Amino acid sequence: MPGGSADAGQGGQAGQANSRQRPDPLADLLVLVARGDAEAYAAVYERTAGQVLGIAASVVRDPAQSEEVAQEVLLDVWRSASRFDPELGSAAAWVMMLAHRRAVDRVRSEQKAAERAHRVASAEIAYDEVAEAVEARLDRERVRRCLGSLTELQRESVTLAYYGGYTYRQVAELLGVAVGTVKTRMRDGLIRLRDCLGVDG
Amino acid sequence: MHTLAGAYAMDAVPPSDRAAFERHLASCEPCRQEVRGLREATAALAAATATEPPAGFREAALRAAAQARQLPPDAAVPPSPWRALRQQGRGLRGWRPRLGVALAGAVACVLAVAAVVAGISAYGMHSRLDQDQGRDHAVAMVLGAPDAKMMSAPVTTGGTATVVMSHRERALVFTAADLRVLPSSESYELWLMGPAGNQPAGMINMSGGGKMASPMVVSGLSSGDRVGMTVEPAGGSPHPTTPLVVVIVLTGA
Repeated sequence: MPGGSADAGQGGQAGQANSRQRPDPLADLLVLVARGDAEAYAAVYERTAGQVLGIAASVVRDPAQSEEVAQEVLLDVWRSASRFDPELGSAAAWVMMLAHRRAVDRVRSEQKAAERAHRVASAEIAYDEVAEAVEARLDRERVRRCLGSLTELQRESVTLAYYGGYTYRQVAELLGVAVGTVKTRMRDGLIRLRDCLGVDG
Repeated sequence: MHTLAGAYAMDAVPPSDRAAFERHLASCEPCRQEVRGLREATAALAAATATEPPAGFREAALRAAAQARQLPPDAAVPPSPWRALRQQGRGLRGWRPRLGVALAGAVACVLAVAAVVAGISAYGMHSRLDQDQGRDHAVAMVLGAPDAKMMSAPVTTGGTATVVMSHRERALVFTAADLRVLPSSESYELWLMGPAGNQPAGMINMSGGGKMASPMVVSGLSSGDRVGMTVEPAGGSPHPTTPLVVVIVLTGA
């Protein structure tokens, strides 16, 4: 068993040059996972599985497919732990990026197959569907509050894009607004969210 | 162009626009910083939806990991493509022999795969950007998949296109070599063609003096899809405006 490494919270234990100011215990665990440490992987599971499943379920909706996507992501984390680069962001952001991308890929391939004929009649329905699916899951007070600090239009665009898995062009079509407007709302909304949450860049 | 940072951090930029934005990111450090920060915000959005997994979920995940090989780190690539291939082969169970057997002319195929691997790894060495990390990761996942399959086809205007695809990953890696060099007013564009029609799959970045296509990942595949390439005006087109110069049929699993 590689040297008593459960104490990953000390940061720098694995000797990586990490220019991020904050300690990142999950990143330290990933270094161990990259070496095949099954215990470290179990610890990564404890910290991330619920979130991976949560975002998969928010985007993919169908419970069976969500679980499938979540399992694929968790396997992805095991297989590609060596590819995580702490210089490019936190470990949590990396894992959630893998999760979100897989979920979005799954949803978009399904949409493609159906010619996106599901094109919802109005933006309100699309937004309500997504928002409803997500509302029930949003149990983190801080995120809920910070999402609330966005303008309604920003929140709408961010929700449709992130939780709905729509591209910015699809969001523009759904909302009947110019593509440029949607891009701005998405960017401004995320910036406001970032600042409210106080997350490091 | 900067305004796409939010959409990009939320994976809301379709393939047709992604390459152009990633090219922009490559030359804009403030933009990269911004994307990095916005991704941390999206991570919080994801975390806020955390849900209790059902019974058996943990056991399934741990069991799958116990049975799966890990990808090697994206370390410095040795100059010889043969060595690169051998190193990859050590880490990836069943990958090399399966690819070798699946195609006629084992030696030629192994060489071609080695070139793909060396090309991809060399590209990865030079940039440490979010999108390259994401792309290199996606490439590695396809190449490392147990059902990875390689197909090649000649390009009518010159050169060869190669696709490595995995039904399990529902994704493919597309490269091409010895392509006809295009004037700056034109670009090669990739298409994903299926029952629902032709979807832009991105503009192809050229390297090697304009003759080699940098690896591109296309994901979200369905069986019956085909991947093709045309010559379009430099900014790309929403639909093909010229005849396909190569088509590869993504045969069923």
